[in-house]
Amino acid sequence: MVKKIDPAVKKETLRIAVGTVLLSGVMELVFILLGKWDLTVLFGNLLGAFAAVLNFFLMGLTVVKCVSLPADKAATKIRISQGTRLLMLAAICGLAALFPKVFNLIAAVIPLLFPRLVIVAWQLFGKKDKPSAAADGAAAETSGEPADETTTEDTEN
Amino acid sequence: MSQLAIAIVLGCCALGAGVAMIAGIGPGIGEGQAVAKACEAIGRQPEAKSEVTSTMIMGCAIAETTGIYALVIAILLIFVAPGSFAAIVKSF
Repeated sequence: MVKKIDPAVKKETLRIAVGTVLLSGVMELVFILLGKWDLTVLFGNLLGAFAAVLNFFLMGLTVVKCVSLPADKAATKIRISQGTRLLMLAAICGLAALFPKVFNLIAAVIPLLFPRLVIVAWQLFGKKDKPSAAADGAAAETSGEPADETTTEDTEN
Repeated sequence: MSQLAIAIVLGCCALGAGVAMIAGIGPGIGEGQAVAKACEAIGRQPEAKSEVTSTMIMGCAIAETTGIYALVIAILLIFVAPGSFAAIVKSF
């Protein structure tokens, strides 16, 4: 049975994936300019970028699952998830290191840092979401009622 | 003598990688606290769930990068640095 993925996770993962692809292109260009490009760089880059986006996606799924749990259980769950994802990244980097004829290790490791760059760049240069509209949309999603009714109830209380 | 120096360098690289991975513990604790507070916030204000979740995902991604830095350093120390340091030692 396939569970429905939260729209926030979909949206943010898509944004991170697009940013990671763009930054991967920049990295490939830098390797070409340095005269050190070969196919191992491309394969390493693909592996690293895939690992970075997968890590972000799994983190998003865990966060969405955790926000509906009690606080102490949520904290434990996200700690376990973080450790597991770090091990997954270590395994992927180990894979790149074990097969140096297929993957360039440096090109596989650098894309792991791209999601942070994308987030920082988005915060600096991206469009700002309207917080009130997002909150109203969330209220409508969670309660299944029109957003205006929820807000009037709040103001009455 | 150079064998001993190379062995010491390799040992130090392994130790350094282990020490670097201590930094992997911090993000887990930090994310745990942040998510716990987010749960409390959603409990108080359920209509803001979507906004809190989006902010949490971004915050967790930023917090987690510290652990990834540590992982990168550890991997470079294990797989890349020993060869470079051994070459330097041999050149003396």
